[in-house]
This record gives sequence, structure tokens and C-alpha cells, in this order.
Amino acid sequence: MPQTKPFHRQAALAFAAMPSKMLVGGVLLTAIIIIAVLGPWVAPYQYDQMSILARMKPPSAAHWFGTDELGRDVFSRTLVGAQMSLAIGLGATALSLVAGVPLGLLCGYKRGRFDEIVMRCMDVLLSMPPIMLGLLFLAVSQPSAWKAILAVGFVYIPVIVRLTRALTLDLANEDFIEAARARSERTWYILLREILPNAWPTIAVEGSLRITFAILLGAALSFLGMGAQPPSPEWGLMISGARPFIAQAPWIALAPGLSMCLTVIAVNLFGDGLREAIDPRTGSRGH
Amino acid sequence: MLFYVLKRFVAVVAVLIVISILVFTITQVMPGDVAHTIAGQFATPDVIAAIRVKLGLNDPVAVQYWRWVSGILVGDFGQSIVMERPVGSLIADAFGASAVLAGLSFVCVAVLGILFGVVAAVRKDGIVDHAISTFTYVGISIPEFFWGIVLIICFANYFQLLPSGGMGSFFSSPADWLAHLALPVVTLTLTLVAHVSRLTRSSMLETLNSQYVRNARAKGLSETTVVFRHALPNALMPTITVLALDIGWLIGGIVVVEMVFSYPGIGRLLMFAIERHDLPLIQASILVIALIYCLANLAADLLYALVNPKIRYGNAAD
Amino acid sequence: MSLLSIKDLTVTYGTGPSRLQALKGINLEISPGETVALVGESGSGKSTIAMAIMDMIDRRSVVGTIEFNGENLSAMDADKRRDMRGSRISLVFQDPFTSLNPSIRIGNQVAEGLIAHLGLSKREAQSKALDALREVGIADPEAVAKSYPHQLSGGMRQRVLIASALVCNPELLILDEPTTALDVTIEAQVLDLIQEISARRNVGVLFITHNLGVVNKIADRVCVLYAGQVLELGPKGSVLRSPLHPYTRGLLGSIPRLGERDRLRRLTPIGGRFPNLADPPAGCIFRDRCPFAEDGCGDAQQVRPVSDRLVKCWRAEEVSDFRWPEPPDAGSVPAVTADRRALVELDSVSKSFALPVTTIEWRRAFGAIPVPAPVKKRVDVINGISLSIAQGEIVGLVGESGSGKSTLGRIMLRLIQSSGGRVVFDGSDITASKERDLEGFRRKAQIVFQNPTSSLNPRRTIGNAIGRAFTVSGNGQGANRRAQVETLMDRVGLPKRYYDRYPHQLSGGEKQRAGIARALASHPQLIVCDEPVSALDVSVQATVLNLFLDLSRELQLAYLFISHDLAVISHVADRIAVLYFGKIVEEGPTNRVLQPPYHPYTEALLSAAASPDGDHQPGSRIVLSGDTTRRVAKGCVFQGRCPRQIGSICETMTPPVLEPAPGHRIACHLPLEELAAAASRVPGKFTASQESK
Repeated sequence: MPQTKPFHRQAALAFAAMPSKMLVGGVLLTAIIIIAVLGPWVAPYQYDQMSILARMKPPSAAHWFGTDELGRDVFSRTLVGAQMSLAIGLGATALSLVAGVPLGLLCGYKRGRFDEIVMRCMDVLLSMPPIMLGLLFLAVSQPSAWKAILAVGFVYIPVIVRLTRALTLDLANEDFIEAARARSERTWYILLREILPNAWPTIAVEGSLRITFAILLGAALSFLGMGAQPPSPEWGLMISGARPFIAQAPWIALAPGLSMCLTVIAVNLFGDGLREAIDPRTGSRGH
Repeated sequence: MLFYVLKRFVAVVAVLIVISILVFTITQVMPGDVAHTIAGQFATPDVIAAIRVKLGLNDPVAVQYWRWVSGILVGDFGQSIVMERPVGSLIADAFGASAVLAGLSFVCVAVLGILFGVVAAVRKDGIVDHAISTFTYVGISIPEFFWGIVLIICFANYFQLLPSGGMGSFFSSPADWLAHLALPVVTLTLTLVAHVSRLTRSSMLETLNSQYVRNARAKGLSETTVVFRHALPNALMPTITVLALDIGWLIGGIVVVEMVFSYPGIGRLLMFAIERHDLPLIQASILVIALIYCLANLAADLLYALVNPKIRYGNAAD
Repeated sequence: MSLLSIKDLTVTYGTGPSRLQALKGINLEISPGETVALVGESGSGKSTIAMAIMDMIDRRSVVGTIEFNGENLSAMDADKRRDMRGSRISLVFQDPFTSLNPSIRIGNQVAEGLIAHLGLSKREAQSKALDALREVGIADPEAVAKSYPHQLSGGMRQRVLIASALVCNPELLILDEPTTALDVTIEAQVLDLIQEISARRNVGVLFITHNLGVVNKIADRVCVLYAGQVLELGPKGSVLRSPLHPYTRGLLGSIPRLGERDRLRRLTPIGGRFPNLADPPAGCIFRDRCPFAEDGCGDAQQVRPVSDRLVKCWRAEEVSDFRWPEPPDAGSVPAVTADRRALVELDSVSKSFALPVTTIEWRRAFGAIPVPAPVKKRVDVINGISLSIAQGEIVGLVGESGSGKSTLGRIMLRLIQSSGGRVVFDGSDITASKERDLEGFRRKAQIVFQNPTSSLNPRRTIGNAIGRAFTVSGNGQGANRRAQVETLMDRVGLPKRYYDRYPHQLSGGEKQRAGIARALASHPQLIVCDEPVSALDVSVQATVLNLFLDLSRELQLAYLFISHDLAVISHVADRIAVLYFGKIVEEGPTNRVLQPPYHPYTEALLSAAASPDGDHQPGSRIVLSGDTTRRVAKGCVFQGRCPRQIGSICETMTPPVLEPAPGHRIACHLPLEELAAAASRVPGKFTASQESK
């Protein structure tokens, strides 16, 4: 169903009413983004600066989060790692939206053979667990962070297509779309100016939650060695690198891990608050 | 309903065929020549060429594909390059272990997820609801590998209660077997319980607001009857669908969890194969995993068809 | 002693700035065996009263006393009141399509109440449930009891709901708009059923509706509700025939009547907007819309007895002679032009849809091998219809759900592709034209929809939406466009300041007018109006209908006016076509169609139509049996339900087209003399100006 109020109005109203979820999430998220952007400059040490003497030291004044097995400052690495994780999250989501939304719009509006073919392809992609797909594509060539972004983005295209298609199917039944056809409007106009503005809020909310999935999946892939490569301070990679030393130096894994949780929770809070603002009736809908 | 079942079945078969082609094609593009790997670093070109002929690597791709597929259909998955054992037996062992892990986790997820969701919905906005909501929030935000590591730090290293990895044997010591399973199962369960309970809650809330529930209340039925007889069965239908999707999450999570806990399941086998570029093993592992996923989805669809009278009985007007 | 006694009921939702006063000071009594109709438009609070009686509203919002058979319900605890629900007081909800649990068999749903309230065993309850299903007129109760709701039609489901409400023998039956979602002929069946049941069981009935015609049919007393307050309460006959409260008068004046048609007589709508219940005006709640308002209306109003009823208006007797102001006439432009060539013609148009495949059958390939193949079924929605509309002519298309009327309208506009036949517009055959060649056609033929909310893009301002229609049709450029849009808005009665407003800020009637303005932007010659007033409140319908008529006269617009409401169509149309299951069974000038000779279906429709005037003699009513679900392959499309069916000829041979007067056609096997001998179903006379057509 199309929303009853224009999106920008609703978002503004929500901001003014400030449900605590959005407020907390928004503040947290802004902080994290600032950290991510400024990270490399603010960090006290270089992220790959090794020191044989200061290996696996617990947190102290000199090293707030301690050092890892190669003597690198965990705090600095965590700061710089924020950039990487956010990049994967945002990049992959952007990719899936850019590719998935137009496809979903066309499928939902045109129907027919095009829709059938595309949805079958999506079914095939969806019939593999996301991590499998990611592994499959990354195993093909030398893994790297960039390829991880592409893989994760690609993996989430079917979800976006399905969502956009479902929204379009619903909207296409509305009378104002039929009125547009009765005016001889072109298909691209109907999709872009009549359907998309009404579908956009729901897609935006879903997109914001996709970011969390993308961050987690990217980290998982890096953890398995299929994403960012050493000495990159990507959080998932840091955790996998810390695995052998868990007993002696748990802080190496805890710092990036907790940071990731915080980031994901922040995005979740913000996205949920956004969703509630748009459609207060549904409350906390599952994804 | 028969038609529905047949349609789904055909769809699954079609998808599997496409996946097999996909898997086969992609692994063909992998770097690292298989023959080179087998022959070793110092092999001469002649030896490599001979191996290529023996493995049939010079034949056209389509022929290689057909050879592979027809082998699978009779149960011959080929020979692992690295382990020098039939892939089939490797997978069978690993699959058994994963099945236990996945099965236990799935049961926990289903039971706890539905329970939490229903309770949260019925006691909406109460303390219990908020507690469950917070719990699920945190649950979906924590990646499995981190959660697993935290558990290891706590229970294995700090409290020394449970082993940090490996698998026990059920037949020699059930207690040990269970102890080895405890942490991996808890790790897998957490993220999914959060997911299922959120969905059950919202589905339940929607059902509780429906016209027919209102009608049941207007008939003066007790609240228990209304919730359990009228609302719950209808609310569970979307949950069934999502549980099927969650099997995919479960499988995805299994790879990571098995790596964290060094559990000898099929996920770990797959990672092992990828690292070593063990082609037959990779192909077979992915195909088996995809097969399980498709079958799980099919089972969920069938269950849904059984439970939803609109599909089971169709329209009398026809 | 009265069965139900409501004293001073006030319901207020929410607190602080979001307070909403849904009901204020309601006093109402129902005696055993009496049927009281609660009449009001949307937002009047009628459903709230029902929910308050059933204790299904948060008690903190409810103030006042409700007494049932002398017991004070308001003082009772929640469990005891819950026990009374469904056993002594029963409620039947409005929408039969969503009120039954889709996963539980009908029999179990009907029997539930017996097990819960009367403690019967499952077997006893099941057998009593079957009795209840039989009582509501279901022919095969065992089969229905085993079915699931989605396997039954709307009318059947409503009967099931009534059965489950009756099963514990309640003393009071509350029905909340039980027939609003049903077709007219089914509605007549259900209303008869309710009357019969209430007479036989001597239950008190509280019948909630917005339809004054239905009130006339079944009520003993009427209670008129507006914005949460009772404005008039009294015996049906006197309230409907000589209403005292200005609101009641306004309502009755704004309803189009069947049979009374004079294009120069305009409906008298109630102006203004529904009051804001969060901030109700001081004094009389109807003040802002009342044409007789004076300073004294600003004081708090009391309900007082006047002749045989109660009225909440201090001036009621005084203004009873005042005429309700008529809306300004658009001018005395003659309605008929000499040149009436056909603007659009449908020639033997058919449309069939493929049904989704649900079963397979086994066919033999190569003679012996059984091969599964999907069973492809098609349903004929429209079957060889020919219809033409002249320039400036209004043709009314009347039919029930499933008749294909919406599909026909869309085929005429080439929004749906026909499966056969031709569509000719202004002399050129556009049946097979490609989309890009239809641009010119689309400018000249537009559509107005039924649902005002869904017909406007929620993200476009009104001005933007109408302006876009202008731009596309090439009529408006740049700065000039805004002025043109505003002129158009003015023409349809929308204030200019609405240009920058979004649809959600407009009322239903205003949205509908915006839709009309949008349709007019390209200066069309034909507008297909698909049930344009069905979703509007009664008092608003009149404004929009007047607008339609004025525009047609002023701009020489032709309409295909689709509706299920014969009264509306008879007020608006020059010619009527009656549609049943994809075939036109009768067609002709309005006054001829409404008088005998009738096609049996037309006769049944007219008989079933509920009018607020006149007396209803139950004996003379024609009630059709069965449902609107069966489609037939050959013979007359009305077979099986026709009360005048001759025999097998109706099932095998297509009926011939009889023409009792030029332009008036009926498709029936019965001879014309028999059809002409039927009694007229339409009260009142036609004015002379229509006879000339």
C-alpha cells in the first residue's frame, strides 16, 4: 500500500518526535561514521606498524586495546578497520540496490516472460545459502576486499529484486497507475515517477538493514580468508587472525568483535526507527 | 494439491541442474592447474600432460560435465586430489557430523523461536516483550564467529567447562559427545532464534488484529482458545516459510561455526577443499549443500501446502 | 421491560492532545422482538456502540450505563460479560470475507460457541450447528459444515456468520452492516432471512447500516447517529416520511430515488465537512453544515421529545417548513442536442481470462502413454456485447459483482485488450491499434475510478497530478498551466488552496472531485465512470452526482456510468443497459427499462432494491435463489436463478432479442405479452420531459 504521507514529511516528523530508537541509533551511527572517516588520521599508530618487542601486550596507557601477535596496536587497527567494514556494508548494499531495484520494477510491472525468466534466475541464486555463493565466486580467483564487496553485493541482489517486485506488484494494482496508462504515459515514466516514489520508503528501510547483513557477511568471508587479505585491519580478518591466541590475548579478538556488534546494532536501531516512523502499525517486523 | 507438489518438485530438479552447471563452470575457471597440483612442484611437462589425459582434462567441457554428472547420479563423486580418497566417503562422514549439529540447532531454533515470539506477542509491550526484544536485537547483530569466540573464551578457557573444539563420539561417550556439541549448537542457535522469534512475534501480532480473531472474541470464547486455536495456527504459516529460509542461514552459519570450533563437518571440509584447490571435493561439497538446501525448501513448501487449507483443498467453485 | 437500555453512553479514546470523542451521551432502548436501526455515515460511531455493548472496548474509555434485561452490564466483571458474548448477546460483523477463520472448518466454527457457553459435547454441538445452518437457509448443511471458508461465496459466508451468532439462542442480535459487502439480490435474501428469524425467535435486533433504504425494509424504529451523537430517534415510518432534524432531512434529500427522474431536479447534498472529533465544535455538532443554523445553535443541545420521537434540535419544528436550499443551477442549457451520432461503439466484444492452473489431467500421447498435462481453463467474463454511446449521452451500465461491468468499461478504453469483437471510437476502429497510435484516443476518452484513495498518487500534490494530465495532453504550458489547473479545480468545486495539498489531506468526496478534474484536463469527449460514488458517504454522493450531471450538460460529455445501484443510475442515465454474467439482458431508455415489460433479472433487481420511500409488502417481493457463482456454457445466462424460467429451452437455446419499443431490447424466451403484464416495480411517476425520449 502506498504510504499516506510523503516520505520526507514522515521522516522529518519522526525525527522531531524522536523515538528513542532512531535517536540512539542515529547518534551512534554518526559517531561510527565519523570514526571511520577520520580513523587513519586520528589513529596513534600505523595499522601495519609492527613491533617485535611489544607483542601481545594487554591494554595499557600506550596501547588502549593492547597489541596483537605482531606487535601492532589493536586500537589503531580497529579504527582503520571501521572504514573497511563500513565500506563493505555500504558498497555491497549500494550495488545490490542499483542492480536490484530497476530489475524488480520491471519484473513487477511488465510481468510475462521477462518476469518468469528473471525470477527463475533469482530462484537459482537464492537456492544457495549466501555464504556459499560468496565462497563460490571468491574461490574463483585471488580473494580481496574489493571482490568481497562485489560478491556480497551480488549475493543480495535477489533479495532486493524480490522485495521491489512485490512492492511493484501491489502498487501496479492501484488506480492511479491505471490513470497514468489512460494518459498514455510511457512505461519508464510510470516506473520512475509513479511507482518508485511510493516504493522507495520501504526499500530504503530494507536497504538500511541490508547494510547490517552485508557487514556481517563480509566479515564472515574475511574470517574464512576469502575476503580482505592480511595485513588489512578488516574486523573479520582480525578476529580470525586472533583465533590461535585466544587463550593468551583475548583482547585482540574482542576489540574488533565488539566494535562490529556496536556498528551493527547502531544501524539496526536506526533502520528500525525509520521503519516505525513510516509504518507505526507494524512495529518491529521481522525481515 | 497434487499439481502444486509436482510443480515444486520439477522446480527443484531444474534448479539443481542449473546449480550443477554453475558449480562445474565456475570451478573450471579456478586458478591453479589441477594436474600441476597433483604432479607436484618439480614435475616435468610430460608427466603433467599424462595426468591431464588420465583425468580427461583435455576433453571438451560439455563431455567433462556429463562425465561428472553421470558419475554423481550413480553415487561416484570422484576422487579427492589431496586426500586421495573417494570424495563420496569423505562427504558422507562429514555430512553425518554436520547433520547432527544442524539438526539439534534447528530443533532448538524452532522451539525457542516460536515460544519467544508467541509470548512476546501475547504480552505485548510488557516487560517480557521488551526483554525478548532486546535479546533478539542483540542476537541478530552479533556475527556467529564472534559469538563463538566469546563462548570459547568464557566456557573453554576461563571456566574450563567445555571443550573448545573437535567432535566427540556418541557411541563411546554420550556425555563427551554432547559436551563437544554444546557450544557450537548454542552459537548457531542464537542468531537464528532472534530471527525466528521476531518474525513469529510480528506475524502473531498481525493475526491477533485480524477480523476473524475479533469475531472469535465477539463469540465470547476464552482468551486461551482465541490465541491458541484461532490465532496461532494462522500465525505460524509465515513462520514455516521462514524456517525454511533459515535452514539456509543455518547452513551458511555452519561453515563459520565449524571453522571456529574445528568441528569436522561438511563446512570445514569445503573450506579445506577451497584452500587446497581440491576440485572434485569442492564441486561435490557445494552440490550436496545446495541439494540439502533445496530439499529443505521443498519440505517447507509441502508442509505449508498441507497446513494451508486454501492450497490443500482448492476452491469448491472449480 | 426493555431488553437493552443504554444510558448516557460516552466513549472517549486517548488522552491529552490526541483525545477523540467517539460517542457522546447516547441513550437508546430496544424491546424484545423489536428491530432498531442505527443509521449513520462513516465516523458516526455506530460500530463503537456495538463494541461497547459487547464490552470489546477498553473500559477506561467508556462512561455510562448499559443494562441488559435489567442487569447492569457496566458493573459486571469481565469474565461474566465475556460469557454473555455469543450466548445472550451476539454480534455479526460486517465483512463476511475476513470474519471467518480461514484454517478451521465451518462446522467447527459454528459449533464453538455451543461448546464454550453451553457446555455441550462435540457431537451434540456439531448436530446443533447443522440445525443452525439449516435455519439460515443453507441447502446442504453437511457439505458446508465440512468446507473451509474460502470455498464458499460471500452470501453463504454471511449466512454462516448469522448461524454462528444464533446458535446459542441469544436474546439480542447486533448486526453491523451485514449486507454492505453483498450484491443487491443477495442482500435481499439475507434481509429476508433476518426478518424471518427475528419474527420467529422474538429476538431484539440492533441493525447498523448507512443505507436508509435497508432501514425502510426491516426496521421498526430508527436512530440517526452523526459524529457520535443521536440526532433523531423514532418510529421508522414517521422519521423517514417526515424527518425533523435537519441532518435527517439532508440525508433523505441527497439520496437518488428509483424511478423519479428529472434531469433538472438536482439532489440536495449536505455541504461542508465532517467535524473533527478530536476538537468538536461547541453547541450543536451539526451546526457547521446545517443550512438553518443560527446563533442559538452555539449552545449545548438537548435531546427533546417532539411528536412521536426524540430530536436533538431546538429549532426542529420551526424549520420543518423551510425548504432545504438547492445548489446553484449550472444554467438552463438544453440537455439534448439534435446531432446524436455514435461516439463509441462496442461490436460483439468478448473477453475471456485464463484461470491459474490448479490441476493436471492425464492425456494419452502416442495412443498409449499417459502424460500429465495442466488443465487450462478459461472464464468468459464478457460474451459478445454490443453497445453504443452517442455524443453527450449518458449510458448507465448496471450489474452485480462478476457481471463484467468494470471489464467492459476498461475494454472500451483499451486499458484491457478484448478477446474478440471491435471497439470503434469516433468512426475509427481502435481494436487492434498499437499503444503509440492511441495517444489521440486517450486524450478524448478518460476514466474516473471507484476508490478515491487509490485513484490519486499519494506522493503528488493535487495540483501536480492534474497538471501532469494537462501537460501530457499538450494543453498546458509553463506558467499558464497553473492558472488552467486552478480554473479546473474551481469548476469541480475544489478550493484553489488545495493545489499544494496531498491526497491524504482531502476527504473522500474531495479526492473524487480531484480525480474528475484530472480526467477533464485533456478535454475528453467520453468518460468511463466506474462506480464513482459507491465508496462515498451518502451525503457526499449527491454533490458528486450533481457535478457529473452538470459537467455532462455543460461540456457535452458522454459517460459510461457503471454502478450496481439502480437508484443512482436511474437518476443519472439517459439509457440503461442491464448486465448479467457478461451478457446484456435488457437495454433501453431509462424510463422504459424501469417500467414493464421487464427482463426477469431487471424485475428482480428492482424488487430487491431498497428504497427509503414507500411501504414494502413482503409478499410481492421477488427473491432470487442461489448465488452469483455459476457460469453457463449455453442457453440463457440467467438460467437456474430465473424465477420465471420456462423449462429446458432456457438452458439450451440462446434467448431471442425482443423489442417492445424502438431502442428498448430484452433478451428472453418469454413472450412479450407476459413480460408486459408484470406489475410496475417502481414507485412514482416520470415527469413529462422523459417520455419524449
